Amino acid sequence: MPTETLDSAPTLGALYGRALLTARSGGHTLPDRTLELVNVTIDPDAVADYAHVCGFRVGGELPITYPHMLAFPLQMRLMTDREFPLPAPGMVHLRNVITQQRPLAVGDPLVVRVHAERLVAHPKGAQVDLVSEVGLPDEEAVWHSRSTYFVRGAKAEEAAEAAPPEPDPHVGDRPHGVWTVPGDIGRRYAAVSGDVNPIHVNGLAAKAFGMPGMIAHGMWSKARVLAALAGRTDGAVTVDAVFRSPLRIPSKAFLYTAATKDGWDAALRSKKGKDHLLLTVRPA
Amino acid sequence: MASPRRAAVVGANRIPFARSNGAYARASNQDMLTAALDGLVARFGLTEERMGEVVAGAVLKHSRDFNLTREAVLGSRLSAATPTYDVQQACGTGLEAAILISNKIALGQIEVGIAGGVDTTSDAPIAVNDDLREVLLEANRAKSTAGVVKALAGLRPGQLVPEIPANREPRTGMAMGEHAAITAAHWGIERTAQDELTALSHQNLAKAYDAGFFDDLMTPFLGLTKDNNLRGDSTVEKLGKLKPVFFPAGGDKAEATMTAGNSTPLTDGAATVLLASDEWAAERGLPVLAHLVDAETAAVDYVHGDEGLLMAPAYAVPRLLERNGLTLQDFDFYEIHEAFASTVLATLAAWESPQFCKERLGLDAPLGSIDRGKLNVHGSSLAAGHPFAATGARIVPTLAKTIHENGGGRGLISICAAGGQGVVAILEA
Repeated sequence: MPTETLDSAPTLGALYGRALLTARSGGHTLPDRTLELVNVTIDPDAVADYAHVCGFRVGGELPITYPHMLAFPLQMRLMTDREFPLPAPGMVHLRNVITQQRPLAVGDPLVVRVHAERLVAHPKGAQVDLVSEVGLPDEEAVWHSRSTYFVRGAKAEEAAEAAPPEPDPHVGDRPHGVWTVPGDIGRRYAAVSGDVNPIHVNGLAAKAFGMPGMIAHGMWSKARVLAALAGRTDGAVTVDAVFRSPLRIPSKAFLYTAATKDGWDAALRSKKGKDHLLLTVRPA
Repeated sequence: MASPRRAAVVGANRIPFARSNGAYARASNQDMLTAALDGLVARFGLTEERMGEVVAGAVLKHSRDFNLTREAVLGSRLSAATPTYDVQQACGTGLEAAILISNKIALGQIEVGIAGGVDTTSDAPIAVNDDLREVLLEANRAKSTAGVVKALAGLRPGQLVPEIPANREPRTGMAMGEHAAITAAHWGIERTAQDELTALSHQNLAKAYDAGFFDDLMTPFLGLTKDNNLRGDSTVEKLGKLKPVFFPAGGDKAEATMTAGNSTPLTDGAATVLLASDEWAAERGLPVLAHLVDAETAAVDYVHGDEGLLMAPAYAVPRLLERNGLTLQDFDFYEIHEAFASTVLATLAAWESPQFCKERLGLDAPLGSIDRGKLNVHGSSLAAGHPFAATGARIVPTLAKTIHENGGGRGLISICAAGGQGVVAILEA
């Protein structure tokens, strides 16, 4: 797959605008190219802002979900391209798996690569994986992420293949955390991530896209759960999360956690016990 | 190595405890701690005396009160040459302060010291919300006027909503009462048992006041001469009419047993206790009420583990007993802090449980039950109220005087604290 190196990170606001304005011609195949950013330097203030919004501590290491901030603009660049087979507006994040060999440090000159693969049919539409890697120049990437996005009603030629088994956390029936998720968490996460998707910042827009109302970013929920497991998820780990149902904001959410023999299980549920997010942490 | 000497509890002074936003609504932590100290100075003739140390603390503390105890001492009649430091171990603060003073006395580093604690939920520090704080800090960091203006341009009306401190665990988002409700449900602590313990606490405290027990342990403050949470006519029937206020998160509402009656109210107040070597007390002709023999602290994982927030004392006590070659029954008096009636009952149930004692404490046999007639005989926090950091400095002298009036004996103190911690100690005379 050829690699296209960009000069700078694309601006997400502009990409969303383009996504909304571009008529959906849409190709049938995924773009055969990897987008790359080199010499990405991390702004410590941006990491601190991100940490504050997600509940991570501020330190010299990047939170395990932070490199997604670097990869996401490239994902959007790929997905808002006129030839991309699925429309970006209304895409739903189904699953995100991150494997990290070791934490990246603030100050590392990073290389970020993103490509799309596995465009397949879904019982109610189509889905695609955006694969991201982050690492230091001239060595194997140490941070790998696979985000699965779904578009209702879209079509894909390939039949749905058997997906890798989803995380299946086993947690007790007593919550370990009760979160009061504020109504502005979408706006605040948008400010630190650049992910200004209207479903997170505007109730009317969210309804226009078929959501019950404003919802939290899935990757915020995942980050917040991992922040709650601070000090227990170090080393080389894989954190696998499925986003089962949108977390409306403002709302209360209940966190359930349990230690397993070599990792952690977690579930984020609504007051009525509906799963928002299921997550496992396992050795990489 | 010669065994260290034991610190003596000589006496104490506290101000009556007041329900939040009532009698002490306008008094600060420093006001109350200074009042408690000055009462102690007056009682024991310590004017211009230099103490080895004064150690105290508060749980809810203004940032300007970084040197709270030192400021209180400077404003008191003690010698200004008395060094101080602040401690903070949530509801364990007052007892921990007494342990720290006792340890220095035991090692011969000081001859006399004062331990204390104070808290106000009326004059609580209110913080600006994080967004506004960041804007103001950014403006403060700006080096030019233009930089300040640029930073302040980030001000939004929504940022003016203040943050009021809440009695919540930061890592779980649950109020202490919600945590306690989970523990109560886990141990099947019944509503009636909680209300019985509560009524007894009020009745015992009222009897102690009537008997003049607190006459040499307290000085009036701002019009109060006794704790204004006290309801001497409290009964199980009256308590039984109250509606539950704390519910176990994610659990069944039917499990709710905890009311405003069988939970401690938010309270303002301060307490101090005078500790010294036997020699120091003898030179001044002062009594030794009891000695602080030993102490232990423990902590539990209530965040991701499956232990209750307030159950740490259940772990601390057996370690303390083993080190001192004692059983749970070797005591004449027990002072178990009544954060909630259910907390006391859950702790006792844990010690009686063969399963808990084996699986959690690694013991072959349960610690067993205690003679309930020896528990909190002069009332405890449910009746007196619970200004967080002051409670330990209320309990130590209460137990010391109880043992002294008994003509000797041994007493156990057990205090649970936020953050899943517990502080326990043995007094003896």
